[in-house]
Amino acid sequence: MKILVPVKRVPDPATTIRVLPDGSGIATDNVKWVINPFDEIAIEEALRIKEKQGGEVVLVAVGQQTWQEQLRTGLAMGADRAILVRSEAALDTLAIARLLAKIAEEQKPDIIILGKQAIDDDSNQVGQMLAEMLGWPQATFASKVEFQDRKCTVVREVDGGLETVAFDLPAIVTTDLRLNEPRYASLPGIMKARKKELKEIPADSLGVDLTPKLKIKKLDPPPKRQAGRKVASVEELVQVLHNEAKVI
Amino acid sequence: MSQEFDSEQSLIESFVRRLAAKYDRRYWLQCAKTGQPLDALWRELGKAGFLGAMAPEQYGGSGVSLTRLAILMEQLGNHGIPPLLLVVSVMGAVAIAKHGTEEQKRRYLPPLADGSERFCFAITEPDAGSNSFRIRSLARRDGDHYVLNGQKVFISGVDQSEHMLVVARTIAADSASDKREGMSLFIVDTNAPGLTAHRMDTQILMPEGQFQLFFDEVKIPRANLVGEEGKALRAMFDALNPERITAAAMGVGIGRYALSKAVEYARTRKVFNTPIGAHQGLAHPMAIAKTELEMASLMTHRAAEVFDAGGDAGMYANMAKYAAGETAAKTVDLAIQVHGGSGFMGETDVITLWPLARLMRTAPISREMILNYIGEHVLGLPRSY
Repeated sequence: MKILVPVKRVPDPATTIRVLPDGSGIATDNVKWVINPFDEIAIEEALRIKEKQGGEVVLVAVGQQTWQEQLRTGLAMGADRAILVRSEAALDTLAIARLLAKIAEEQKPDIIILGKQAIDDDSNQVGQMLAEMLGWPQATFASKVEFQDRKCTVVREVDGGLETVAFDLPAIVTTDLRLNEPRYASLPGIMKARKKELKEIPADSLGVDLTPKLKIKKLDPPPKRQAGRKVASVEELVQVLHNEAKVI
Repeated sequence: MSQEFDSEQSLIESFVRRLAAKYDRRYWLQCAKTGQPLDALWRELGKAGFLGAMAPEQYGGSGVSLTRLAILMEQLGNHGIPPLLLVVSVMGAVAIAKHGTEEQKRRYLPPLADGSERFCFAITEPDAGSNSFRIRSLARRDGDHYVLNGQKVFISGVDQSEHMLVVARTIAADSASDKREGMSLFIVDTNAPGLTAHRMDTQILMPEGQFQLFFDEVKIPRANLVGEEGKALRAMFDALNPERITAAAMGVGIGRYALSKAVEYARTRKVFNTPIGAHQGLAHPMAIAKTELEMASLMTHRAAEVFDAGGDAGMYANMAKYAAGETAAKTVDLAIQVHGGSGFMGETDVITLWPLARLMRTAPISREMILNYIGEHVLGLPRSY
């Protein structure tokens, strides 16, 4: 099975994010960059499918040259090759989905697996847009993925329960947190990653309209947390919760 | 350094970061305080292929790379979870991979690489510390066996290892025409009949204890001789450079861990109006410590690269060990000073680093012997001993 896994580079979840004074973005100095954790789950799932059924895992990212680092990480985990669609400008989700659709048409994967959302902007759109553009079935928020011949069954995490859907390939699956626990890149994996193919394609060579439809106007950091306060007794706590916080 | 090297380094960094989230400093301290091996951590290192870093692929290894192993060790140190056993285990792997027989490689390298069996290294004796040629442990030939008698001290991790590499004489020192002759290297099981191990009272907070060993008519199959009989010098030195390099990496890591604690404390602790880290009396020593740690780190990487390329890593390995030992001890001392009185509390976990950091000036080779080496072999000065 040929599996395409789109990957995004995001700040490490453990990094403290600082918003620039003018609210135009985040300060990127001293930020450590990682693979979007949901995409890491997608890579892991792709590798498990490949280990079971054979095939090829191809990574694709849309971004700057520095994104190579995340693609190399995915290659070290075990993916076979990677494509970096080079774009110096930050693109919106629609443009990204259009570029990925082009890559999918060219690569002809049996399935595309990607994170349900990126942890930086939490858009949760690319998978869905991609399904629409390709005219493929989609199963979002997957917590279990199984195959029988060209049929795929996915258990989805929906509000208040689980939903099982089945569809034919090719298809799009977006991953939820509980799908798997991604592996680390092993030392042999790290050493082999150097020799794997990482191809770069300029974004503007794909004949796609990249004009942003969305503009980020302003970012605001969350309000500073107020210091807590100590109460003397359980009675006082109940009093305060009832009268001041009005939560009980 | 190349960009490729940086990207591999960052992969090893992320691996260790995730590992350290699971097996953190508290886990390490718990093992250190109870004298338990870092079993769970060790298994993960094996699973991820790092214990096989010095073993060729056909023997279950990951392809030989001391550079990557040194980076791993440094990173484990950065998180305060360095396994000393890795330093000694590496020596077993290197000696067997380079000088072992085909049979030894097939028997010992795969379990060493996957973490299921471990190696310690026994060379030091009561009368042969820095002067290894004076060892008296003697292995005499007896049919298809050797019979070993002798005593060793300060041998780390014996209780946590299945096997040990033992340096012993096959020609007694006083009968050898040249003191370098007659040194041999053997693989001995730690549970071999006639071998007894006593834990020594070393006061170093770490999971690996030091042991005194007595060999009383210990039978060693001839097949366990590594390299040629009486000519183990080459194999010994081949194993000693990686030991110095991984020990240097460990020193750099411990130093970085101590410095990160000092910086964190100095950033928030206020004695007067500003955080104490704003005072140059503390900021400058911390900046110097950072600089010296990074210099030691670069020297360590250089030494490992030379070793990997098959060159003579002696000079760089010794210099790296010197630089890392000095800066580790200085940085932990500084971290204690930055913490003031609370630096002496167990809960701040700074004084706890001192014995291990200070050890880096003494072992695996003392700084004086390193300076002798550099004086004699690098600068070409006459030797005094």
